Amino acid sequence: MDQSRRNFCLGFGAATVGAATLSPAPAEAIAAREGGDPAHRWGMVVDVRKCVGCQACTVACIMENDVPENSFRTIVSTYEVTEQGRSGTYMLPRLCNHCEDPPCIPVCPTGATFQREDGIVVVDNTVCVGCAYCVQACPYDARFINHETQTADKCTFCVHRVEAGLLPACVETCVGGARIFGDLKDPDSTVSKLVRERDPRVLKPEQGTQPRVFYIGLDPKFQGKVDGTPTLWRPSAQPHADVHAGKEHA
Amino acid sequence: MMDTSIVEVINVTREVAWLPWAVQYFFLIGLSVGGVLLSLPGYAFAREDWRKLGRVALLVALTCGLAAPVALLSDLHQPGRFWHFYVVLRPTSWMWWGSIIIPFYVTGLLVYGWTCFREELQEQGRVDSRLAALYRLAALGGGRDDRLIRYAGLVVLTGAALVALYTGTEVAVVRARPLWHTPFLPLQFLATALAGATGLVLLLNRLAADGDRDVERVANRLLAGALGAVMLFGTLWLALGLFALERTHADALASVAGSEAWRVTAVWAVAATAVPFVIAVAKPVGTGLLTGLIAVHGAWMFRWTVFIGGQTVPKTGAGFYEYALPAGPDGLLGIVGTAGLWLFLLLAITAFLPTPRRAEPGPFHPIAAE
Repeated sequence: MDQSRRNFCLGFGAATVGAATLSPAPAEAIAAREGGDPAHRWGMVVDVRKCVGCQACTVACIMENDVPENSFRTIVSTYEVTEQGRSGTYMLPRLCNHCEDPPCIPVCPTGATFQREDGIVVVDNTVCVGCAYCVQACPYDARFINHETQTADKCTFCVHRVEAGLLPACVETCVGGARIFGDLKDPDSTVSKLVRERDPRVLKPEQGTQPRVFYIGLDPKFQGKVDGTPTLWRPSAQPHADVHAGKEHA
Repeated sequence: MMDTSIVEVINVTREVAWLPWAVQYFFLIGLSVGGVLLSLPGYAFAREDWRKLGRVALLVALTCGLAAPVALLSDLHQPGRFWHFYVVLRPTSWMWWGSIIIPFYVTGLLVYGWTCFREELQEQGRVDSRLAALYRLAALGGGRDDRLIRYAGLVVLTGAALVALYTGTEVAVVRARPLWHTPFLPLQFLATALAGATGLVLLLNRLAADGDRDVERVANRLLAGALGAVMLFGTLWLALGLFALERTHADALASVAGSEAWRVTAVWAVAATAVPFVIAVAKPVGTGLLTGLIAVHGAWMFRWTVFIGGQTVPKTGAGFYEYALPAGPDGLLGIVGTAGLWLFLLLAITAFLPTPRRAEPGPFHPIAAE
């Protein structure tokens, strides 16, 4: 199942045309972009039907990006769903959506977080003051304060790997081939084809953020805040928060 | 509707990123703004009958206004980098505007406070003491100057309005948090700040001034007015949400309505508003300590609920996050430390400028006569 990887390598640097199904970013968002190659627009398609919930992506991300203990740039949210007496497991890999109109960027008071020309949203942690305004503004809970750097932290699509022509660590390690990464400006890339042909969904479309992480097989019940019983155990930096969580129902 | 049950098996808890320091900041800066507004009639408009209340309000404005930025700075995870705010232009960020507005407000407040206290500084300079020279220096060779007070009052009023605008809007624009993203939030911040400031005036009138009964009566009436505004906004907020008249309010209510803890909080908030309102209306004299304390508590609790409570509502996960107040700088120590700083400022200012002993009010005393 390395079609996504092969395609990525072949498609790298291919001629670029804007994907027809994707609406462009607002003018002010594009104007503020800096760095990166405008010839590309990186994006991800997650085929949740293929995700087995092994959390290999979660671990690979932590190892690749030196994510501190109890913090996560990506995680596979896992749910037990019971419908008409039948139970099953639903997996939903979550990460930064590298939105076309990212709400985390205009709120930043120092310009530490910005979007590159290739669409990747990054944080310059030498500039960030750790005010956490962006953490509040992200509708996907994708940002957090890294307590080793005391600055805002998030998924970068493994920008250092992408620039070296490699796939993000989570994509590289995905055993089910559920994560597909590529250039949305390249009409022949797998991601472009999937977005064009499979009509994937995005998380919280009503927020108007235009995510560039798409989901195939996304159940609408999991598209926004999940209405269910919270887990009894959550990884957390709070020493006491992992014991008695989840007494309340949403 | 299909009968579906969902149990979250694995997910991440996002810890609160705006810490109790932020609660302290929004509480103190709100009270400071309220204090400024309450001091204006007595000083900027030179209404003698409001002068005593205005002096206590000025203490509220100064002590809270000076402690607030320290709390805000401490809420940054990289406080040493605060100067990064001042080397960029980020007009899309309300926090960036805040970084401009806060120094403007605090500077204006200090100048305004000085113009108001100049008369007292001059008087202290005439007293035969070792510090007389210091007081004379602080008075800069002048005394009461109502025109100067008025100009400074205009500046600090502008600053106070900007603070009220930016603190409310900064939070209300966060669309990702339905509880925050309502047009009513800035108004609720302002109304609770006025109630809290009036409450603190009532407390300081008794504890840091001469416990004037006219001041108490007027402050209790003002408190009733502010609490009335709090209840009005609260009722409208609830009605808009409950009857789904307006989407942001419906979303805000829906984000917490299912929680027993939030329902208890709501009942508590109603009680903390209605009880001092009734007392302040029914018995405005002799109850200042009680109504003041409840009002200050209410203003603080509103901010605690909005900020800490608001951050325990997951944006994607099921249910609510647990929050346990840490004992260290990220939690209790921040609250106690800020309170200690405020107390120090109060002691320092009242030691340097003790409440003047005034002659008994003359026959013309419209407030007392009301």
